[in-house]
Amino acid sequence: MSITVRQFDEILSDVIKSEPGIKKTILVDRTGLTIAHVSKFSYYPVDVDGIGAIASAVFCASEEQGKSLDVGDLTIVTSEFGDGKIFAAGAGKGVLCVITDKEVNIGMIRLTMMKAAAELAKVLDEFMAEKPAVAAGKTDAEREELRAALGELEKG
Amino acid sequence: MKKDLQGRIHFKIVFWGPSLSGKTTALRWIYDNVEGLNKGGFTSVADHTGRTLFFDYTPMQATAQVVFDVYTVAGQRRHRGQRKVILTGVDGIIFVADSSPDQMEANIESMAELRSFVEEDLGHSISLVVMLNKQDLPNAMDKAVMLAKLGLGNAPNFTTCALTGENVKRSFRQVTRDILMYHLYPKASATASTS
Repeated sequence: MSITVRQFDEILSDVIKSEPGIKKTILVDRTGLTIAHVSKFSYYPVDVDGIGAIASAVFCASEEQGKSLDVGDLTIVTSEFGDGKIFAAGAGKGVLCVITDKEVNIGMIRLTMMKAAAELAKVLDEFMAEKPAVAAGKTDAEREELRAALGELEKG
Repeated sequence: MKKDLQGRIHFKIVFWGPSLSGKTTALRWIYDNVEGLNKGGFTSVADHTGRTLFFDYTPMQATAQVVFDVYTVAGQRRHRGQRKVILTGVDGIIFVADSSPDQMEANIESMAELRSFVEEDLGHSISLVVMLNKQDLPNAMDKAVMLAKLGLGNAPNFTTCALTGENVKRSFRQVTRDILMYHLYPKASATASTS
């Protein structure tokens, strides 16, 4: 079965609905690529790709730190700001990032994130299996896209 | 190479090199000056003086379906862990070497660290282009000597000045071209890189 945007969006939307203070959820992979994102309000002007890249990098760097200190697996990174909080949790091959208001039920957020992370990890595994990172077996359409990009670059 | 949910193909490019060699300046120059690429926001994790603490990042679209996610790394020695994280999933590297004679050891150390992270993939499945930066300095090191000391005699290279943008666009275009060629013609690229 082919993975669709909707499958990711449904899980991310469930996270948003679970707690009133959640403003945005972003799923990124561990290379910093934003895979999906859902906002509570349709207009939420942030650079999602940039936020996603930072979330992934911060989580992965914290994991590295944990390995160096031999303190076990990392579950959640919490960043507390004057006017809000950012949570990041590992979701298999991805990182789930949740942006909230200042006053939120942290216990509930943690619980919701852990549940969603497990679901996302499964869907991500299927998604990444469908879209392998290596070049072998490219479709004609993909080759055409790459040729078009090459043509654009050689114009400049 | 990765595909996102919208079907866009993403390639990751990382500017690598020692501290203050010109990685962020080069990326900034491309961001501000190169036309024909549809650029997203410029994200920078830096200190108050502008020195990179973690990375800079900007997505650049060559076509509607092909995106280059371009990063720099923090060059200072203590940021080794962060550099390793940023290198995950990389498709192409622009190694920015500092041509000041007193920075040659730092260049060598940075290259050795890069090799330790990516091993035999460098120059094969991971494209590599070398920017010999700050060649405008009056005491800039000789290009051939630098490449020999870095063990990069066969790598595509450009003498650059990131401040003025001299050859910066050419370096970037070379790495993007090499990445696309590798993915279009992987066998031919493998033969070329080993010959």
